Amino acid sequence: MPPFKDEQIIIIAPGSETTVAQLGLPESFTPAKTRVRSRMFPAEKEGEWEPYKVRRKQSAEKPTGDQNGAADGEESKNVSSEQEEIIYEEDRISEEGAVWPIREGRIVNWSCFFALITHVYNTMNPPFHTPILLITQPAWTPREHEKLTQFFFEKFKTPAFSLMDSALATSWAFGVHTATVVDVGKDKVDITAISEFVPHVQGRVISLPGCGGEALTQGLLSLLKAKGFNRDMLPNSKKQKATFIYEDHALLDNLKNMNLGEKGLAEAHAALDEGPSKKAQDGTEEEVREGGEGSGAPGAKSGGIRREIEVGVERFQAASNGTLEKIADAVHRCVSSVDEVNKRSELWDSLIVCGNGSRLRGFKDALQATLQAKYVISPSSATIFTSEIPSNISTPAGTGANTPQPQSAPHGGSSQVNPLLLAATTAQNPHLMHPGANPILQGMNSHNQHSSHGQTPTSIKLVKPPEYFPEWKEPGYDEAAFLGAQVAAKVIFVVDQGQNKGYMTRPDYNDQGPTAIHDYSL
Amino acid sequence: MASTNAPAAEYAGDEVSAIVLDPGFSTIRAGFAGEDVPKSVCPSFFGYTDAESDSKSQFLFGENAIHTPQANLQIKNYWGSDGIVEDWDAATKVWEYAITSRLTSTKPSNPLQNGLNEGSNGNGDTMDVDIENVEQAEKPLEDSPLLMTEPGWNSSKAREKCIEIAMEEWGAPAFYLQKTGVLAAFASGKASGIIIDIGASHTSVTPVLDGMVLRKGVQKSPLAGNFVSNQIRMLFKQSQPEIPLTPHYTVKSKVQVDAGAPSQATYKTFDLPPTDSFRRLEEERVLTEFKESVVEVWPGPQRFNMGPSEEIAKNQPGRPFEMPDGWNQVFTADRFRVAEGLFDASAALVDSDNPRPKDEHTISRLVQAAVQQVDADHRPMLLGNVVVTGGSSLLYKLNERLTQEINTIYPSTRNKLIAPGSVVERKYAAWIGGSILASLGSFHQLWISKKEYEEHGASIVEKRCR
Repeated sequence: MPPFKDEQIIIIAPGSETTVAQLGLPESFTPAKTRVRSRMFPAEKEGEWEPYKVRRKQSAEKPTGDQNGAADGEESKNVSSEQEEIIYEEDRISEEGAVWPIREGRIVNWSCFFALITHVYNTMNPPFHTPILLITQPAWTPREHEKLTQFFFEKFKTPAFSLMDSALATSWAFGVHTATVVDVGKDKVDITAISEFVPHVQGRVISLPGCGGEALTQGLLSLLKAKGFNRDMLPNSKKQKATFIYEDHALLDNLKNMNLGEKGLAEAHAALDEGPSKKAQDGTEEEVREGGEGSGAPGAKSGGIRREIEVGVERFQAASNGTLEKIADAVHRCVSSVDEVNKRSELWDSLIVCGNGSRLRGFKDALQATLQAKYVISPSSATIFTSEIPSNISTPAGTGANTPQPQSAPHGGSSQVNPLLLAATTAQNPHLMHPGANPILQGMNSHNQHSSHGQTPTSIKLVKPPEYFPEWKEPGYDEAAFLGAQVAAKVIFVVDQGQNKGYMTRPDYNDQGPTAIHDYSL
Repeated sequence: MASTNAPAAEYAGDEVSAIVLDPGFSTIRAGFAGEDVPKSVCPSFFGYTDAESDSKSQFLFGENAIHTPQANLQIKNYWGSDGIVEDWDAATKVWEYAITSRLTSTKPSNPLQNGLNEGSNGNGDTMDVDIENVEQAEKPLEDSPLLMTEPGWNSSKAREKCIEIAMEEWGAPAFYLQKTGVLAAFASGKASGIIIDIGASHTSVTPVLDGMVLRKGVQKSPLAGNFVSNQIRMLFKQSQPEIPLTPHYTVKSKVQVDAGAPSQATYKTFDLPPTDSFRRLEEERVLTEFKESVVEVWPGPQRFNMGPSEEIAKNQPGRPFEMPDGWNQVFTADRFRVAEGLFDASAALVDSDNPRPKDEHTISRLVQAAVQQVDADHRPMLLGNVVVTGGSSLLYKLNERLTQEINTIYPSTRNKLIAPGSVVERKYAAWIGGSILASLGSFHQLWISKKEYEEHGASIVEKRCR
């Protein structure tokens, strides 16, 4: 019997804006069920935290109300004394004075972070025997991993614990072993090259600041300021319960064209219900669809209206203040830092753009277009038909060297086959590129050799999202890391059962301490 | 809330792995001992913005910060031209960044607030103890012994500076300094050998015997990666018409053009153009790509400018290269020429700023000079263990040429070149050797503890780290 069952497994994915979690793996994997804003409020006592804003309320007004929130936990305290009644009330909406423990993917306030995790854990109200898989942000250092390990074992007495890198989890979700994962968060972008399931840590772009969804919002805002828009009108996640930043542009565009009065503003507010498949065309957006209040869309976890403003690619580029180029340059740096030159072209061909900052309609295409415009190497006109005659059986040239030189082939297979031709043909038939499968390519696939076409990329492609997770289709794959983590949790806790050290057990922890977590993580 | 104090049976150990720091001209490698690759690889280049442009001048570290074009961003490197650290303040900061950003944490948390001590909050005694520790906890290396690497020609002043930084600025509990040559040999599983390290700024040849560097045999020369970059720059400049070297940041979008045709890209405009040093750093990225995909070392048997070599090279298929602005061309014989200077000073491209390199600086002559310093009895053994390492040793066909050259100089011994197959092992050999050394059980017998340092001062490094 496996040591753990599906329904016992906890997955937690902390983020700068939202922390998502789930207890139990459903039959068919779904987006995370528990969604919590990643913030806490300082409690009265230094170093303690409350999940909701707690306000001291003078008793004069109405001494009895507002206690219904107390059911939610120990946080809400009612200290009543004889002479003066002090009542604390929970304000579930206000975020005034909130502390956000994760900034740009980094944990900046540990005590608050631990309180947040505890809150998330308690919200799920798990039974005892629950293994935990924590999705880690790339910015977390190995020392911090150890600290987390210690916390989870000692605080929750968890029987088994594992860490999984969010970029790696994303690649699991997409079912690819090699990928370049561009994770667009709130204030930052992480870019990770993964080859053969191993994240390439050296050249990883970690927490590139000023490139996340927030930057895009700002960019859009600055563009629209002239038109009298203000921040509240933008789908600002802070003002809404919806967790995602959306942009809608057909609206904005039209609004810009019509002179917008109150009606226009109302429209901006009443923007469309989210749905990846829907594409509002000019003209149609006049109708105001308000239907998406939580219950309508299965993906709307937090019950708010999801709004979306769409910006056409061009406008959007204008709005991004060079953000796209900054990300594109970082992608180029990241892939170029991969030491195995021959892996790079595969990495360029398997780009994954994820993260809630990338939900912006058209963002992925715009990023791909930017990358293509700047970095794709076009086939050189000089090489296609002219100087690229296979050299060993050289045609008689005017040099007098009519007899073929008995030289060894200079570049692996190039003596038999024109490498460029090969690159061109195989690029269209990716299955031919399978390492080692093609005898001609064998020589090229070993380390430290030029690939058949030295410079990369010759093409840039996005990986298609998997199609066999129906529940994920509607909300989209921006939180694919969570899907990957579910797959991984199933594998390490249920299928593999620890044979390959996929997780650390409590006895392991007691024997070896937190530093040993590095031997167990995925 | 229940107490979270760990029961006695739970882990309370104090094993912490050492940190290995291997600073090079191009990148700084840092990671935990016992691991097979450094987790942190940071550029040695750092950004500096002037006081004029901003209200305060500031340093910028790490890849993310130094590649964004902005006016007044100067790109600097803390290394001196002689291969010894010149700017110690910057070096300390960059090294610290390499360690804290990806290994430990940027800000060690206050034990009062790290959430692990909640249970003891009510306990006044433990609080007091914690407060006393706060000051020490602010030092980045408080609980990790540090193994640092140094080039074979490091000055004793520089060595003392290293231990000072580790002990006083970073609060390391123990420290050891080892030469890159020895460590690279360890990484290949050798205690003796000749280590040829072709880096960015320098090529060095180090004879190592039984884990000890033969100091007088250490040779270095500036013919390394940066030299090849300069050769490429000259090749571009001397071409007819001149080949424009345009870094990525200047280009808005490119248009496909015929080979050799002028670029039709649209360029970006800057109100205040980025500095020359920034442009140079970005150009270097293009040159690196050129080195990776085009440059090839002429494998021999004859030198490139002797006999029919050049003719043969011309008949080999060329390699195309496209600039960020779309300009492209196929390089044939020229792609061999730019690397030839490493072995044949007379073949190097020259101009007014770049005089002909010295003959004794070529790699083959360095090997010869190093072997000359070794006792004749040991020479055959050392020549059977020639370890090749360093990022620039990845130039295509370099090993073939090196074998050829060494066999020409020493035809009567059994010369064997040991070049790790994987790129990672080649690039990070010294770090990997350090990782091996620092994870040995006997490492604590080598290191200089904080106590010893306090007793004897920085000069102890000369006695202990030979």
